[in-house]
Amino acid sequence: MFKKLISYRVPRNLLVLIDLMALLLLFVYSNGEIDKFTLITGVVLIFIIYISNFILLKISSGDHYIFLIVTMLLKLGIIMIYRLDPKLGAKQVVWVSAGILIFFISYAIVKKIKIWNKLTLFYGLGSIFLFMFTLVFGKTIGGARNWIKFGRFSFQPSEIIKIAFIFFIASFYTNEKKFNKNGKSGYRLLIFAYIFIGFLFLQKDLGSALLFYLIFLVIQYVYEKDRKLILYNILLATTGAIVSYFLFDHVKIRVETWLDPWRFIDNKGYQITQSLFAIANGGFFGTGIGLGHPDFIPEVHTDFIFPAICEEMGIFTGIAIMMLFLILVYRGFKIAFSQSDKFFRIVAFGISAMFGFQTFIIFGGVIKMIPLTGITVPFISYGGSSMISSFIALGILQVASEELAMEEVEKNE
Amino acid sequence: MNKEVKRMARVLTVMCLLFVSLIVYLSHFQIFKAQEIKDNSFNKRLWIDEENILRGMILDRNGKTLAYSERTEDSTIRHYNYGNLYSHIIGYSYREYGKSGLELTYNNELLNLKDSTTFKEIKKIIDPDGEGNNLKLTLDHELQEIANNSLQGKKGSIVAMNPKNGEIYAMVSQPDFNANELRKNWQDIMENTDSPFLNRATNGLYAPGSVFKVITAVAGLESPNVNKSYDCKGSITVEGYTLKDYGGKAHGKLGIEDALVKSCNSYFAQLGLGVGKEKLGNVSEKFMMNKDIPFDLPVKSSKFDYGEKIGKTDIAASSIGQGKTLVTPLNMAMVTSAIANEGNMVKPILVKEIRSPKGNLLEVKDTETISQVTDPLIANQVKNMMVEVVRRGTGANANIQNIKVAGKTGTAENPTGKTHSWFIGFAPADDPKVAVSVVLESDGTTGGSGAAPIARQIMIEALNRIKE
Amino acid sequence: MFNILSVAFKYVFILIIYLFMLSIIRLIYLDIKGMGLTTLNKNTYLKLVNQKDTLPFKVKEVYPIDKDMAIGRGNQNNIIIKDPHISKRHLKLVKDEGNYYLEDLDSSNGTFVNGDKIMDVVKLRNGDRIRLGQVEFLFVNRK
Repeated sequence: MFKKLISYRVPRNLLVLIDLMALLLLFVYSNGEIDKFTLITGVVLIFIIYISNFILLKISSGDHYIFLIVTMLLKLGIIMIYRLDPKLGAKQVVWVSAGILIFFISYAIVKKIKIWNKLTLFYGLGSIFLFMFTLVFGKTIGGARNWIKFGRFSFQPSEIIKIAFIFFIASFYTNEKKFNKNGKSGYRLLIFAYIFIGFLFLQKDLGSALLFYLIFLVIQYVYEKDRKLILYNILLATTGAIVSYFLFDHVKIRVETWLDPWRFIDNKGYQITQSLFAIANGGFFGTGIGLGHPDFIPEVHTDFIFPAICEEMGIFTGIAIMMLFLILVYRGFKIAFSQSDKFFRIVAFGISAMFGFQTFIIFGGVIKMIPLTGITVPFISYGGSSMISSFIALGILQVASEELAMEEVEKNE
Repeated sequence: MNKEVKRMARVLTVMCLLFVSLIVYLSHFQIFKAQEIKDNSFNKRLWIDEENILRGMILDRNGKTLAYSERTEDSTIRHYNYGNLYSHIIGYSYREYGKSGLELTYNNELLNLKDSTTFKEIKKIIDPDGEGNNLKLTLDHELQEIANNSLQGKKGSIVAMNPKNGEIYAMVSQPDFNANELRKNWQDIMENTDSPFLNRATNGLYAPGSVFKVITAVAGLESPNVNKSYDCKGSITVEGYTLKDYGGKAHGKLGIEDALVKSCNSYFAQLGLGVGKEKLGNVSEKFMMNKDIPFDLPVKSSKFDYGEKIGKTDIAASSIGQGKTLVTPLNMAMVTSAIANEGNMVKPILVKEIRSPKGNLLEVKDTETISQVTDPLIANQVKNMMVEVVRRGTGANANIQNIKVAGKTGTAENPTGKTHSWFIGFAPADDPKVAVSVVLESDGTTGGSGAAPIARQIMIEALNRIKE
Repeated sequence: MFNILSVAFKYVFILIIYLFMLSIIRLIYLDIKGMGLTTLNKNTYLKLVNQKDTLPFKVKEVYPIDKDMAIGRGNQNNIIIKDPHISKRHLKLVKDEGNYYLEDLDSSNGTFVNGDKIMDVVKLRNGDRIRLGQVEFLFVNRK
């Protein structure tokens, strides 16, 4: 029994093992007086995740690895967030449960509805409407004006727009013939994409702007027939970046604090240096959960969860997380390779690129490899918007991993 | 379709490269840079660890407690028993202001953090509330107090040390500050133009004036071919620049001993020129000028410039301790000690022993020779000349009944307008037990009237109190 | 106590995470190996629906179909699956005028297409699920 539990042939069991250890640790920490609510939520979550993996095997003939990988990431995130702040940890458990539910719902909806590739204008205009809405009614949190508040809940529209953006480009290239009457449709797409990026820039959400750009660039690279456009795109973005460095202070600050954060250690370089302290203190194996001081890092629950994990669980865990993301991205690409429906092929490709670039931008940022731009880590960071949109994306990826019904394939070829 | 897959594969390759570069960067960071970043004083974690450890005590040579720590409910508090008295030696240790003095130099010993990381980690787990080691200093508390009192109201520094083993008996720098009340006074101390934070004994650079003639004398005696007799006319003109003797007094015909006894500027300027800048420079460097002096506290290097741009005028001025020449009081104490110790310059030490909280001896500092400044013969010649300085010359105020004292005074002109008053010396001359260096900054007095009586008192007290 | 446990667990955590990663990589490796590169270009094939590591016998992820095929436990079949619940000669796939037909060869436990037990012959459509013994296949036929 025990042998089977730790056998690496059944990864699901390894996940349960981690949960049990985390619970044991918590149990010892609270001197055996762990409150019932925490215990129950913990056990329920383990159960939900275990069952979800099981259900997925039954209902989906597609990929079974991506959800498994995500499960591991979720657990690491919850453990860390709970350790930082038990209240947020409990909330995160709720968000994760909601996320898993949303995953199944979006899986079902995306699979059921067959007209996703015909809604190009809807995605484009809907997103622009959301952007406008955010600009007018948005709230500024953490320097970026990208939050909308509904009563007690606040959410980041850009998280949803991210997916709409991918759908938009995908449906555009799927229906290229229809749009491409004068052979200049690529330019129109370019303009649209830059409008998106421009909005994000206006919100001072540089991380998302960069992410959108990279997603757009790679999809364009694969599908654009007018190859010159790609070059224009790169030139345009480079010029834009250089010009904005000189024009906008918030861009300049990012670059300055990247080049030498130690000079600004008590003001604008504070975040990044605290992050580096945490990683440096953790060493290869970390200090052990609860024995470090990741709470010194500002915004540690969201953008800076990675250095916190590195401090207490070591950079070996940090590297493992990077590799897990890489495997996830690889699976996503493989799904794209073997999908016969063009629309879903592009969507799968875009979503995998999104996961890949998003993690690269934030991991590279917090370890000072590239300039730091605030963006969440999918599935690990605390936060509802990020969790839910990541799960929607995962649900779509799950659909894309299956053999889709014949009629659509015929129509497209 | 084929093209599409190919391009996607390329994007995947780029993605893999990006992630691999992340991993490589992170590993590189951890292996090569992490240690330095961890030790950055802005890293709050350092303090968290330290606050759980009871910092070790600091004791004087007789076991008197000078500084100790006390545990409170959630932290530890450092107490400095004699607020101002050791402000430059022991220094301070504050979370907000950092550390200085021995608190900085011996931080790891005081916190017992010498072990490797893994071992430290294990120790932290087993016993998170550790205790640091204790330092036993070479200082004598009573002597330190006397030295400090003799500088009250003045600016300057006193260093008293054992010329044979380098133990510092007293080291005072005025003005000072109260290490217990930094939080209250930080701003005032920072804005004070007299720089109370500066440890003048080790970091104050002063024109040495005539005390430098001891070094010129050594250089002269080491050059047998240079003429040692000279007719003093009260001033000397080198390349159109005139150096005057004190009060413009002509000393007449004199040899090297009388020149030192009377502190004749013309004689030593002439001697320095005869010896030449190379020789003078080399001898100065043997006396550790222009060199880093190894010590428990940071020390500024004394300066003796004999580079290409240095002309005859500069050499004449340098030979009598003026011009571009600058020294620290500690360095001058070492110069005297070297003469007292037959030309053997030993490393000055402040910390005698390091003991574990249970009293086990962990480390003893041994005597270390850092420079052989000259041969014993010449050292003894200079010593005898210095004895004459006190017996019948400018240093008469340092004379002690029944004890042979050797010394040299100095009255150094400097840009502030008021002269620095210097005295260096040791006693008893036949078997030196204590060497002193006294400087009164911009005091306006001569070395003989200002510094010599203070040095005398210190030497008497040291000889009476310190019996090994 | 907590400190000691936490320090001990950090090593175990890292070990498990890497084991987990290893197991995923292993599964993916099996997946790719089973697929074979040639089959990617075939239009008609059977794709395994079960998670491969849950089956106690060898079975490939994909079986290309290019002619009439027999499936069973016996060695004379084109596709051999050593499942004890599968008969020696279990079923036959027949191509006729571009369409594929499945014929059950009187197997003891039967063959199910989309959950319905097959009595004699049935025409296969793209996306049909074929279950025999413990194994379930997806029938893929792209034209």
